[in-house]
Amino acid sequence: MPVVVYLLTLLVFPIILIALYSVGLKTNVVYPPISYSWSDWKGFLPFLHSGPESVYFKRFTLSIQITLIVSVSAVVLAYPLAFFLAFVARRRRYTLLMVMLAPFFTSYLLRIYAWTVMLPGHGTVNSALEWMGLVNSNNPITFFYHSRFAIGLVLAYSWIPFVALPIFVVLDNLDFRLLEAAQDLGAGRFSTFLRVTLPLSLPGVIAAFVFVLIPTTGEYITPYLVGGPNDLMFGNFIQNAFTGENRWNFGSVLAMWLMLVVLVMIAVSSRYLTADLRGEKH
Amino acid sequence: MVLFLYLPLAVLVIFSFNNNNSPVLPLKGFTTHWYDQALNNPNLTDALKRSLLLAAVNALAATLLGVMAALALSARRLFGRGFVIALIMLPLVVPYVVLGVGMLILLHSLGLHTSLQALLVMHVLVSVPYGVLVILPRLNTLDPSIGEAARDLGASAMAAFTRITVPLILPAMASSFVIAFTISFDEVAIANFLVPPGHNTFPTYLYNNARTPYLRPQTVAIGGLIIAASLLLVVLSEVGRRRAERGLGS
Repeated sequence: MPVVVYLLTLLVFPIILIALYSVGLKTNVVYPPISYSWSDWKGFLPFLHSGPESVYFKRFTLSIQITLIVSVSAVVLAYPLAFFLAFVARRRRYTLLMVMLAPFFTSYLLRIYAWTVMLPGHGTVNSALEWMGLVNSNNPITFFYHSRFAIGLVLAYSWIPFVALPIFVVLDNLDFRLLEAAQDLGAGRFSTFLRVTLPLSLPGVIAAFVFVLIPTTGEYITPYLVGGPNDLMFGNFIQNAFTGENRWNFGSVLAMWLMLVVLVMIAVSSRYLTADLRGEKH
Repeated sequence: MVLFLYLPLAVLVIFSFNNNNSPVLPLKGFTTHWYDQALNNPNLTDALKRSLLLAAVNALAATLLGVMAALALSARRLFGRGFVIALIMLPLVVPYVVLGVGMLILLHSLGLHTSLQALLVMHVLVSVPYGVLVILPRLNTLDPSIGEAARDLGASAMAAFTRITVPLILPAMASSFVIAFTISFDEVAIANFLVPPGHNTFPTYLYNNARTPYLRPQTVAIGGLIIAASLLLVVLSEVGRRRAERGLGS
């Protein structure tokens, strides 16, 4: 099969090369020469060396924190949307779903770019606030841009529809008789939601959460465009090791680590992802 | 909420016509000056042309490869099916920064320089899984006896494929083409590693010039144009699909 050959040469083989770089068995520089060594791994991972944590590992834990915050906020923002589409907008729900998804068929990069136009001190949002007299032009709100807030906002914004979709699918396929039964048995609207709807929609929520978690862990475009110099994420350090600092061996350690973390995330969540697929078939 | 989702798009479209070089309210009046400026900036227009060509070739190659893979996977017997499926879906979960790094190292090992061809190869790699995901379910719904009937009536395997199977999976192939085109036209995380100096694609042009204030109005203009055009396409294709469905239903 041509596609198998294609993937083995251009995906599996390069990952093996990265692994070889990470232990010094290949290199792109003359000095130090090729020699088998775990020293780059030891310098990076805190449990392999004594002394303080390396800046790179600190950056990794910070990226995981940002990723978790983004994933949780995207789910929290998207759930009401999915709920509204599935239960309130009964007849028009597919049209509304289309309206909601349409912006996300347009360029992802241009949507990030739009935020770089809106968020700065002299950007659209601040000027609108000035115009309304809420902000003084000499003292614009600066935490909107070049900040962790900006990274979180833009990433959560990018993911909302992707998160809303799996939750919507689960809610839309819920057996309504269960909800009616809960209400017949005396449960209020709120306790029906809390004790019936929410637990039943959990597979969709977890699937959505993982859909955000995996790509955000390696993300470097959004932090570069809207984050400040102290907010760069792990992916930026990987990119910089290859294109800026020319430290390919160390960069390979970071890339391998990212791969391993993502693989572990998939292994842990695969149970929920397949459960979600079974749920869709009802 | 819907307002929030559309806000960035609206900002690009509105400010592309605003007669002020910084994107602030209140609006100052209508102009097409920024569009003129953008279309007369060869760096920008060359990047756009490169991206359009790259996206078109990618869409074609990824769809062909996707059809081949889907055909193999739809066979009743296939040695190592689980492994093949896992391999094809792998690009969906490998972080793009790792894909970019991997190709960069591969090129270096082979003594090759970065090139748009190398980028194309990676775009095909990340587009194929989506192609398989839309084409394979369609192939699986086809009744195998249709193909067998064609063969019984004297069609060669090739003729049965091109005259029976292809027309039936054409809508899925079209979806695969559009998805692959969009992926390539928008992809920057891999492109940053593989685009040779002076050969920006549109996404790497945006990425590299996002912090250059004097280029901003014209970039906003082109961005607004692309956003408006793609939204229009989405709406038209959705309306077309619904018309077609209604036509089938009556």
